[in-house]
Amino acid sequence: MKAALASACGLLGIAGQPAEATEVRTAILGYSEQDRVQAFEAVIDATHEFGGGKIGNLHVVYDALSGASPSGAVPSQALQSFTRPSGNGVYTTAPGETPLDDTFRDTRMAVSGSLTLPLDRVTGLTAGLYGSGEHDYSSLGANLALTRDFNRRNTTVSLRAGYFDDTINPEGGRPAPFGVMLDQALSPRLDGDGSKQTLDLSLGLTQVIDRRTLVGLNYVFSEVDGYQTDPYKLVSVVDPVSGEPLDHLYESRPDARVKHALLAKLVRQVGAHNLHLSYRYFTDDWGVRSQTVDLRFRWNAGPALYVQPRLRYYHQGEADFYRRFLVEGAAMPDHASADYRLGAMDDYTPGLEVGITRDNGHLITLRAEYYLQTGESHPAGAIGQLADQDLFPTVKAVIVQVGYAVGL
Amino acid sequence: MKTGTMRAFLILCLILVALAGAGCSSLGVQPWERDLLSAPGMQLQPDPVVTALDDHIYFSKEASTGGLGGAGGGCGCN
Repeated sequence: MKAALASACGLLGIAGQPAEATEVRTAILGYSEQDRVQAFEAVIDATHEFGGGKIGNLHVVYDALSGASPSGAVPSQALQSFTRPSGNGVYTTAPGETPLDDTFRDTRMAVSGSLTLPLDRVTGLTAGLYGSGEHDYSSLGANLALTRDFNRRNTTVSLRAGYFDDTINPEGGRPAPFGVMLDQALSPRLDGDGSKQTLDLSLGLTQVIDRRTLVGLNYVFSEVDGYQTDPYKLVSVVDPVSGEPLDHLYESRPDARVKHALLAKLVRQVGAHNLHLSYRYFTDDWGVRSQTVDLRFRWNAGPALYVQPRLRYYHQGEADFYRRFLVEGAAMPDHASADYRLGAMDDYTPGLEVGITRDNGHLITLRAEYYLQTGESHPAGAIGQLADQDLFPTVKAVIVQVGYAVGL
Repeated sequence: MKTGTMRAFLILCLILVALAGAGCSSLGVQPWERDLLSAPGMQLQPDPVVTALDDHIYFSKEASTGGLGGAGGGCGCN
């Protein structure tokens, strides 16, 4: 069952002709940022082996988000007021505080399913569908994956293609790029909903090295076309001397993006324990470059208990059009965003997971992690009062997850 | 998709298939040596639920996507 399920992910290949079996994994997760976003997420993932190598999977996610998210506007020495994204009402930001849009509240439901069919003894085809919805965003997708085993199933090559069609319908409509945020009124808007299309292609290689070692390589190409501006984000235009914000403009991002990600992963048995080490390099034509290292060590304390410390490190360079602010009188760039997620950052996630197998074989997992995101709080070129402000407040979040799995 | 990108992707595919067919043939184990490899802790993605939850968190907080699966999509993710 285990090897057969792994083959559904294109990892180990089709494994013989196992009997029918079902595996269900569930989890609830809480994510809490200090003074900002709070999230609750629930997941059910069910996989059924129909026999003959045919595998079905259903994955359902519900999440609820609330709290405050940085709007992108810079802090000021004066009280600032901002029009809410819907155009209904105003929120204020105290002097020296990072402007946070406190109307952030959303729920999202996502459902995906797939069916894997064996084409022959060593080849499998997986077809899947995806759909998700939130009050201002919906997405539909489809994917196909072909996996083939070589060399006595020690080598697996997988080829995947996915296509997503997303629709964005923000509260109050889509602001015109670089439109000025007006006081208690809607700024100029674009007609209709926004849409974007994503094509993903990925190519994977999994290789058994020896009895204790497994490596995986995966390359992902992604092309996104369409509306990619965040309709809720602002860029401040500041005075060239004082650094005080004069206006707040809605941001503008390019409508095309091509991304490449290359991931390498090593899994190795060390004594009775398991080491998982992965490295990812990411680059795109927006100028973002990132590197991710993820290390997990699963300490198998016994047949029914494991303890798994984890450390993830992420380093990101800023996008070409990332501007923490614009300067009054200077030439306007073609695009600009002050979204901190497009800025330079270093992120750290230390954590611990504990897994307990009950007498009936069911697995209980508990995971606790701390997420720390740091950026350039005082970037070079901060003008006037901005030199004294924190322009990239550190994000601190706690992640807690409880899982329960049957049929493993 | 741009022709150059598609050509590069196809070349990568061919290289990987060639590696799989030849270069890696000396690596690996016999079928009766898979005892350790079949353990839960030796899977490339031991828990697909954790992978999916992590992907969602980091997709919402960082500008990168793409891991062992595809890059994915379908989230406004403020």
